[in-house]
Amino acid sequence: MAVFANFQTTFFLALLFLRISQSEVLSEHLPLTPESLKISINSARQYLHVQWTVRNLLYHQELKMVFQIQISRFNSSNIIWVGNYSTTVKQNQVLHWSWESELPLECATHFLRIRSMVDDASFPKSTIWSNWSSWEKVDVQDSLGQDTLFVFPNDKLVEEGSNVTICYISRNNQNNISCLLEDEQINGEQLDPHVFAFNLNNVPFIRETGTNFYCQRNKTVKGIVLFVSKVLEEPKDFSCETQDFKTLNCTWDPGRNTDLRKHASQRYTLFEFYSGEKKLCKHKNWCNWQITQDSQETYNFTLIAENDLRKRSVSILFNLTQRVRPMTPFSVSFETVSATNAMMTWKVHSIGNYSSLLCNVELYGEGRMIQQHNVSVKVNGEFLLSELEPNTKYTAQVRCAYDKHIWKWSEWISQSFITLEAAPSVALDVWRNVKSKPGSQNVILFWKPLSKFHANGKILFYNVVVENLDQPSRLEHYTIPAPANGTELSLDQSSYEIRITANNSVGSSPASVIVISGNSTEEVEEEKIKGTEDGFPVSWKPHSGDVLGYVVEWYDCPQDQLCDFQWENVGPGNTSIVISSDAFRPGVRYNFRIYRISTKRIAYLLEKKTGYSKELVPSTKPQVVMNNLTPHSFTLSWENYPTESQPGFIQGYHVYLKSKARQCHPGFEKANLPEITDDPLCCKYKIDNPEQKRFIVENLQPESFYEVQVTPYTSAGEGPGEAFMKVTTPGEESHKLIRILLPMIFCILVIMIACYMKSQWVKEKCYPDIPDPYKSSILSLIKSKENPHLTIMNVNDCIPDAIEVINKPEGTKIQFLGTGKSVTELEFTKPAYLYLLPTEKNSSSPSPCICFENFTYNQAASDAESCGHVLEPPFVPPSQLGLVTSSESLLKTLEKSYMNSLEEIPAEETNLNYVSQLASPMSGDKDSLPTNPQVPVHCSEYKMQMAVPPCLTASPLSEKSSLSSVTLLDQDEHFH
Amino acid sequence: MLACLCTVLWHLPAVPALNRTGDPGPGPSIQKTYDLTRYLEHQLRSLAGTYLNYLGPPFNEPDFNPPRLGAETLPRATVNLEVWRSLNDKLRLTQNYEAYSHLLCYLRGLNRQAATAELRRSLAHFCTSLQGLLGSIAGVMAALGSPLPQPLPGTEPTWAPGPAHSDFLQKMDDFWLLKELQTWLWRSAKDFNRLKKKIQPPAAAVTLHLEAHGF
Repeated sequence: MAVFANFQTTFFLALLFLRISQSEVLSEHLPLTPESLKISINSARQYLHVQWTVRNLLYHQELKMVFQIQISRFNSSNIIWVGNYSTTVKQNQVLHWSWESELPLECATHFLRIRSMVDDASFPKSTIWSNWSSWEKVDVQDSLGQDTLFVFPNDKLVEEGSNVTICYISRNNQNNISCLLEDEQINGEQLDPHVFAFNLNNVPFIRETGTNFYCQRNKTVKGIVLFVSKVLEEPKDFSCETQDFKTLNCTWDPGRNTDLRKHASQRYTLFEFYSGEKKLCKHKNWCNWQITQDSQETYNFTLIAENDLRKRSVSILFNLTQRVRPMTPFSVSFETVSATNAMMTWKVHSIGNYSSLLCNVELYGEGRMIQQHNVSVKVNGEFLLSELEPNTKYTAQVRCAYDKHIWKWSEWISQSFITLEAAPSVALDVWRNVKSKPGSQNVILFWKPLSKFHANGKILFYNVVVENLDQPSRLEHYTIPAPANGTELSLDQSSYEIRITANNSVGSSPASVIVISGNSTEEVEEEKIKGTEDGFPVSWKPHSGDVLGYVVEWYDCPQDQLCDFQWENVGPGNTSIVISSDAFRPGVRYNFRIYRISTKRIAYLLEKKTGYSKELVPSTKPQVVMNNLTPHSFTLSWENYPTESQPGFIQGYHVYLKSKARQCHPGFEKANLPEITDDPLCCKYKIDNPEQKRFIVENLQPESFYEVQVTPYTSAGEGPGEAFMKVTTPGEESHKLIRILLPMIFCILVIMIACYMKSQWVKEKCYPDIPDPYKSSILSLIKSKENPHLTIMNVNDCIPDAIEVINKPEGTKIQFLGTGKSVTELEFTKPAYLYLLPTEKNSSSPSPCICFENFTYNQAASDAESCGHVLEPPFVPPSQLGLVTSSESLLKTLEKSYMNSLEEIPAEETNLNYVSQLASPMSGDKDSLPTNPQVPVHCSEYKMQMAVPPCLTASPLSEKSSLSSVTLLDQDEHFH
Repeated sequence: MLACLCTVLWHLPAVPALNRTGDPGPGPSIQKTYDLTRYLEHQLRSLAGTYLNYLGPPFNEPDFNPPRLGAETLPRATVNLEVWRSLNDKLRLTQNYEAYSHLLCYLRGLNRQAATAELRRSLAHFCTSLQGLLGSIAGVMAALGSPLPQPLPGTEPTWAPGPAHSDFLQKMDDFWLLKELQTWLWRSAKDFNRLKKKIQPPAAAVTLHLEAHGF
């Protein structure tokens, strides 16, 4: 035992010795200085990476150590960062450490050194720092290339809101370098003669292609793209559900997209805690998870969102049966659709052998929900939709949910159907308009089309059955095709019962019955009513007899009797109704008739009402006529003024009288109209009776000037009037004088008319025709007495010397109508004398002619000079005249010129000289002058007068152009 | 004079444009190519505006004219005027065809990198139009009897920058791609206009041709 105790003591001592000696070795013989430092940089992330080893560690020795690291920039003495790094070190372990530099590492030379210290509790005496390692330098500028300008860092990725330092290196001494962030120039800090740094704080996200920073010197442009990413958000609304217990569909809202063009790193991973499975999702907002067959009921999902800069996660825990959302039902159809019922069927996707679904059926009609039902379904669903309206379109929709736990309903699926038609359910609302004629009556039937609700289908036609109540056996049927809303019947004066039904493809509506009595000639007084904004309040006296109801009828547009005939049925207990219509217009008179419907369905006219929804001022002016003007009064009348066709009830008229009197006449009052001034004084007389259309203005002053006007007025105001009529009252003397003068004028007129009627008689009495001596009765008396000494005066006893032809052209310009040449050169300076009788030199025998000048017909002889526009015969040169005068063309030319000249002569200048002519020498030879008359026998005859224009009568007669006025006429134009 | 006329008539069959006996010749297809070029010029103007805005300043600034650093592989459209004048039709068409073949490949690479769907749609539409222009040029070359240049296998140009290519430089390349494309379209319009005038005979020549037949 003692041996054992000694051995134990010896062992502990030995162990203690060993431990002490080991500590001494560590402290004295093992400096543990970091060695083999290697520095590198990661440009993308601006990491300075260093690796080193610690020698002199014993085999299997593991020590906790602290390493102090110093980093200098540009030179080793410029220490910019000092820090400790603690770790457990093994023998021959290569240690790694990284440091992120704010300044891009390319822009400056960096130095690093490390020293270490054992920080192990086992070796408390070793807590002293080792020596520093030597400075390690890292400089990448030599590897940049030959360019003279560089900008760093390249393509750095930061989060929105970060602070970034950008630098440039210029190997040129020129300092004209400008740097811009996007399009804004920024100023930097010079770190070195060749290095500038720019600190950007709180950088924003601008675009997916990054933020551009560039420096330019002359034409050199160098830049970098700073990729600023949005901050990754935690996924929202993360949930999972299944439709078939085979697949879980998980969805979430990923929030902002943090992907950039070069850094699309946003990704999502789904992790299930109980199974320990993980799945990388292909999409950013949903992911499918396959349910395994071992019927795991509870799931704990964690959704991990991450990108290059950040990582976030969200978890949910749920029971699978509480996350069932069935698939949308399908194959919805309607079977056995009738007028009021329809069987709806559909199918659902199975979710398990013993599971069933709860389906929700909704029925919509005319846009609103009508019915809602719940149906339990395994595979095939069906439901009878009842209480439907005939011929109506319905839409039914169905959705389903898991019946054990309603998590979410499936999507709706809907289908429409139309129920079948049924017979119309109500009778037509029918009214009539009866126009009685002698011996017959014209009945116009009107009915209102049935509403869709009551029609129960498309109305195809209307049946009208007319039964003569006086001869009950006679029935007449009429079929009126839809969409008519009335028909016209010509009936005799008998009483008739008319039954009208509406018919669709299924059947007829109940009949509407109207009875027309043969003698319906009631006349009642018309009463005025006043319309309001709500309509016309129409009321009537209650009737104590048999009343089935009342009907009020009117026309929406009274001007057109065929337009919109309206009626309204009123129950027997009511005696008033407000008739309103959008068609009512202000200023239009509406007439209402109230009928009583007897129990025999005969209509009796009770009352008539008329009124305006809103009265307006009169629209037409009265046509005022003034008569009975005396020195003291005159009468105004406007009998034709149509009071009924005005846009309001005419209540009366205003008569305005303006005069220079200082006071209004009795009955008149001073008019206070803004447009009327006091000078002259304007007075107004008010006529209250609209039918009084005559007014006598009295008490006037003789020989005074008055102005008068009449205007109508309604309750809306005064209408327009004609302009003021001006009246001057006559004097009293002139009034008497008129009483004398008027009969005298009348008598003179009577005498003149009598003279005109007896003009022939007057002519014979006052200026008879010149008697013919040869036909004289005296001559016969003389001959009968056979007195040879008594004879008639011989023509030889009267020898005219000459006839003076008056010729006064006076240089008038004359146009040749044919040639258009002026003939002013044709002057006739000397008077022409036409010697009808041969001169003594030329005459071979005494002239046998006798001539009488009839001054009665020489009307315009003295006005010959008034013919200023004298048309001369065309001027023809003598050389040509010979050719023309012998032909008829000359005659035609002359005739034409003559006719044209007639047209050119003004009316007042076309006076004619009627020249008495002797016919004999010229009647046979129109081309020759009567120089040698051979047959004097006929000369004693009187010739008819010939009309010749005075201008032509003044034509010159020379030897060359010896065309007298006579030659201008053709031979046929001589009248004998 | 008679000798001159005889000389013209002798050379008449050698002028392709004057042998108009039913075959319309390359004239209409040249006109269509010219029209397509002008249309693409218009289309590119809109596309380039959108894309350069997508790159951001300074690339969308109108006076931005950086040195052509990394875009050396792009076919250069600018050429000395005398050199351009001295080009024959075949060479002119060949240069056009080769340039658009390369530019189309680069443009498709651009489309793949575009981040927005709208931009991808616009680029795809433009690529389709450019493919049409390429086919149209090939048609003209075939009509003029000029063979199509065959690309060497494995030398398909791509727009995939190396790993050391910074994104700023890539944006610069994109800028230059659009700029060269614009210059090429402008140059092609000139080329085809010149070719069109050259191929289509003047009216006097046609008259001479008809007279020659009558003669």
